[in-house]
Amino acid sequence: MPPPDDPPSTTTTTRTSIIDSLGVEIVGVMSPVSICMLLVVLILTSLSSPSTTSSTSPPPVTAATLIYVESDSDSPSHKLLGAVLDAAAFVALIAAATFLLVLLYYYNFTSFLKNYLRFSVFFVLFSMGGSIMASLLQHFSIPLDAPTSFILLFNFAILGVLSVFSPAVPILLRQSYMVSVAVIVAVWFARLPEWTTWVLLIALALYDLAAVLCPHGPLRILVELASSRDEELPALVYEARPTDSSHPVSPPASTPVASLGSVEMQPVSEASNSNSSSVDEEERSPLVSSPPVVRENLSNFNHEQVRESNNSNHAVVEMETGESETLALVEREGFRSSSNSDSEFEMFDSTRGIRLGLGDFVFYSVLVGRAAMYDLMTVYACYLAIISGLGCTLILLSVFRHALPALPISITLGVIFYFLTRLLMEPFVVGASTNLVMF
Amino acid sequence: MTVAAGVGYVLIALGPALSLFASVIAKKPFLILTLLSSTLFWLISLIILAGAWRAFLPVKSTELWPYSILILTSVGFQEGIRIGFWRLFKKMEDMLNAFADRVSKPRLFLTDKMQLALAGGLGHGLAHAVFFCLSLLTPAFGPATFYVDKCPSIPFFLISAIIALGFVIIHTFSMVIAFNGYTEGKRKDQIFVPFAHLIAALITLINLVPGGCNIGLPLLCIMAGTTLYYNWQLVWRRLTEHQTTRSSD
Repeated sequence: MPPPDDPPSTTTTTRTSIIDSLGVEIVGVMSPVSICMLLVVLILTSLSSPSTTSSTSPPPVTAATLIYVESDSDSPSHKLLGAVLDAAAFVALIAAATFLLVLLYYYNFTSFLKNYLRFSVFFVLFSMGGSIMASLLQHFSIPLDAPTSFILLFNFAILGVLSVFSPAVPILLRQSYMVSVAVIVAVWFARLPEWTTWVLLIALALYDLAAVLCPHGPLRILVELASSRDEELPALVYEARPTDSSHPVSPPASTPVASLGSVEMQPVSEASNSNSSSVDEEERSPLVSSPPVVRENLSNFNHEQVRESNNSNHAVVEMETGESETLALVEREGFRSSSNSDSEFEMFDSTRGIRLGLGDFVFYSVLVGRAAMYDLMTVYACYLAIISGLGCTLILLSVFRHALPALPISITLGVIFYFLTRLLMEPFVVGASTNLVMF
Repeated sequence: MTVAAGVGYVLIALGPALSLFASVIAKKPFLILTLLSSTLFWLISLIILAGAWRAFLPVKSTELWPYSILILTSVGFQEGIRIGFWRLFKKMEDMLNAFADRVSKPRLFLTDKMQLALAGGLGHGLAHAVFFCLSLLTPAFGPATFYVDKCPSIPFFLISAIIALGFVIIHTFSMVIAFNGYTEGKRKDQIFVPFAHLIAALITLINLVPGGCNIGLPLLCIMAGTTLYYNWQLVWRRLTEHQTTRSSD
């Protein structure tokens, strides 16, 4: 029998299937996280040559090593105690800074906060990014002279400052700058000594959980304040807005929006007074859902409605399992902001996507970077753990529909997988594969 | 042997996987999610296996039988996991179909299901390649190379890259075969997959014999080719049957 003229699949590819567009938002958040982790791993592995191990160079004096600086000659229990003290001091510092931020925001010092954030972005990109660039140039012997690199760095930093809070900058540029800031901060954090890093990560995950979910947690207060005023938080967030959808300009009509939390992240920066201390920036944030979320509760209705609004792209995707667990993967709706509160600039279209704070990027990358200092196998295991934790958090986000901390699940899974891989899996796999026995 | 060689080894192991990813999977975000979750599954199964075997390590490299027991248990466990994976896949298929009915869009096509199976298999293969091959490739980016005692004719990195390539192909397509076999209930397909996996793993045991890798490598590639061919026949048959049944009504 002659083969059919069209191969059997062409007729089916013209019809769209449901799995074509399912899960776009989740992948839209996971890709920048993956890119950030990849860049951090690349920078750390290329910059760490055997001659610059932590035992030869003293670790930077940061807020995370105020109490105890780890050295190789201490006993494990001493190291553990020192690390716990360091982590406690750091978390206390972060909590104090968050409360300060809440206070400032409460008294409407919003423009001060925004300018402060712009300054800190400039500082991160210019100073910390500059030192990373210098070590990269040195390591790879790239022939670039000092004035040129200064000018390039300066331009890079200024453009970053401009793109942070301006809605007129293309979204792709803003997303790239967010990822660069996260990469630079994560590379700096990864230079902390080992025990301190792990204890600090766990402590921050616990703090994040408490700060977002407890009724008087600072982050929760901040989120509620921002949503009650119906304006954006003055914070550094990564917004996974789809970059290829059309962006119609919406008239500034006021639409009742069920505003939910927004992500927040608070920068803590210690002014570098002395030349020996380095600025320590800390940004952390809970994960949030997109502010306007009007969702069909499919457990009550048997049909679904695709909400159409004039100028928005939309997809309401919800599924139900037999146990009435609603699994909303994607939800966006057109958001028209009442821009009367924000007199600085007009809000243009806003098809909101999922927003993830920059602190989450930073600490995921710190975990993976620390795993990279051990082995590539642990890197991959921790990467998978973090991504699956992020996926779980996103699913929980669609269930609970308010701001959720993005750190706890991922960091916990990451730490567990790191130690499991290092202790259990590595002797097994390396032993088998070096003898060329594989399955 | 420098960055070029390192990148070359990576591409030998992962080249077909990357091109499959770029052409089929990257276009649909749901397939990317399926790939990530199947990789996670394989990692967890590997950790469980490693935990079970931890007490018996390190295995003396001169003996053959510890490794054969290791392989038998590992392959058996992984095939059991594959059945569990298939059950999850069925549940997800039901969920997706129910949702499709609600959105009044067509249900999952045969090609969709096959693509999901392909993504799942590719996740397994990718995990294998990364954990068994790529994690050991870091020295290959440096200035020298390394030879294993048992196999002095081929650099270690090249052998592990080729083995990883073979296993990527076997894992990827045996998932498609297995899902089709479980769906249709055909014994032949269901038996073929664990059988092929076991034979391929036992072939790598030949590498323990001095000079054995010269025989083991080609045999593994033949096994991979067999899986590929079987899969091709199966998919062609299913798609033509599907086409004729659809065009007949």
